[in-house]
Amino acid sequence: MKHWMWAALKNGLQDSMAYRSEFLIKIFVDAAVPAIVQIILWYAIFDLGHQNTVAGYTYAQMMSYTLMTVLFTQVRGGDHDFELAEMIRTGELSPYLLKPLNVVDFIYIRGVAHRLFVSVICLCIGIGISVFTELSPLRLIGGMMLALLGNLIHYQIGAALASVSFSWEEGYALLMVKNRITMFLSGELIPLFLIPESYAWIWKSLPFYLYVFGPSQYALGNWSHHEFIIQFSIGIGWLIITSMLTRYTWRTGIRHYQGLGG
Amino acid sequence: MTPIISVRNVTRSFQSTKKEPGFKGSLKLLLKPKKVTKTAVHEVSFEIKKGSFVGLIGANGAGKTTLLKILSGLIPPTSGEVKVLGSQPFKRTIEFRKKIALVMGQKAQLWWDLPARDAFDLIQAIYEIPEKIYQERLHTLTEILNVNSLLHTQIRRLSLGERMKMELIGAILHWPEVIYLDEPTIGLDLLAAHHLREFLKVHNEKEKATIILTSHNMDDIEQLCSRIMIMKEGKLIFDGDPEQLTKTEEKRLRLTFKEDISQMKLQEILNLDSTKIIKENDRNFLISLEPKAIADTLATLMKQTSVHDIGIENQSLETVIQNLYTQSTQITGFNL
Repeated sequence: MKHWMWAALKNGLQDSMAYRSEFLIKIFVDAAVPAIVQIILWYAIFDLGHQNTVAGYTYAQMMSYTLMTVLFTQVRGGDHDFELAEMIRTGELSPYLLKPLNVVDFIYIRGVAHRLFVSVICLCIGIGISVFTELSPLRLIGGMMLALLGNLIHYQIGAALASVSFSWEEGYALLMVKNRITMFLSGELIPLFLIPESYAWIWKSLPFYLYVFGPSQYALGNWSHHEFIIQFSIGIGWLIITSMLTRYTWRTGIRHYQGLGG
Repeated sequence: MTPIISVRNVTRSFQSTKKEPGFKGSLKLLLKPKKVTKTAVHEVSFEIKKGSFVGLIGANGAGKTTLLKILSGLIPPTSGEVKVLGSQPFKRTIEFRKKIALVMGQKAQLWWDLPARDAFDLIQAIYEIPEKIYQERLHTLTEILNVNSLLHTQIRRLSLGERMKMELIGAILHWPEVIYLDEPTIGLDLLAAHHLREFLKVHNEKEKATIILTSHNMDDIEQLCSRIMIMKEGKLIFDGDPEQLTKTEEKRLRLTFKEDISQMKLQEILNLDSTKIIKENDRNFLISLEPKAIADTLATLMKQTSVHDIGIENQSLETVIQNLYTQSTQITGFNL
């Protein structure tokens, strides 16, 4: 890791903590609101619908899944690709392009600092919970590693889509579409095992399930260690493909950069 | 001496979508966008030697900033050849980027919520500046620009002038060999602009950095630049010494009459059009003349009017440049 990468990480963390109250409230709200919504929803389905199991899962198992997804969703990210698209559109990218570094990596590293901090908090919460439950701290750490890998893949996809802004001013619209699809296919909104088996190939052939669903499955013990290693390797494969895609789209797109607003 | 910057027949065009006003225009834009091509820089050629301080001036939309973007490697030229520090800027090699800086008065590179010091530390890491040299440079720059006490204040809490000084420090901490300054004194008060100018002058002389400055403030140009390039509608219409420009231009005759006189009567007596005569009040006038016509004009005025006082002055650079903006052709007789 280059020296500037550490410095950018430190700088990004300082930047994200500039407004301390906002920083803490955001973490809490981002986690609490989806958790409350899902708990109410599952309660309605199980209790009011007089169901003991849904897709073979009990209410307690569904609550465990919900809790895990809330933790891993905080690590998912997906906002700094918007920043990239906006910088391309407004010309704010110019000062970064003249620095002796890779601008896509730089924006990621500065931006991910916040997520890394959040992931440490989430991991601590998870390990805290594991003391009172059957959760394995080792599996939680593994799940968090997979979630962080998912964060990296997610940014690479976002950066590739953001590069559309070089030739299409409204390219950020693609990022909105990507984030909506991600919310659904990452397992953040509903557990992916609820999707009928005949359609499972859709989420299995995309990397999004590695962001939230995959880490939750491993942390809850639904994936064996062997399965985890396979899925982690698939994640590395996705990272290589998406990184190559990003590098290609940026190399092509940068020729159309106009550096507006000067 | 080999030029540090060499530009040959550079042209840069942009294509954009034209939007007509109103809702109908928005609808048209959505269904049938109309593309227009604008040439921002047209067949421009020049060379700049190491250590030069060059002023690049022109009206809004003349192509100055586009030219700086090409020279810094932000955008490629549509055609023509550019060499800066021996390489093509748009290739943007790491080595090239370490040797240049672009300061845009309207674009911030420092982070709004962080103190300047945190940003400078990151810049130190990016450019791999050794700690001792970094501390020395930071100390020198903050002393000269008088912002030492503000290093730990968040950027958003600084005034515009203070922010601009911090931007400048951030841009040159790595001691670039070529510095492009795009309207660096924009929005600055007189004192802040003066400090900035003083600093740039010293930095250029001491470090032999090559500086290209664009500014609408003629004080910047007159006090700093030994060479000016004037752009108009994408073309380079003048390239040379600013004195060369003011010397060869018309002189201004400042006249005070003993009695009131109308501008119309003066026009008739001197056979000049209204643009050459500026009326300050009923007895004070400024008349623009070719140097060789001064004697005859004075003789005519002495005969036909009651002149009380006479003064002859050079045209200001600002006036000369204003005249250039309104002329339609390229100035001849200069090394373009």
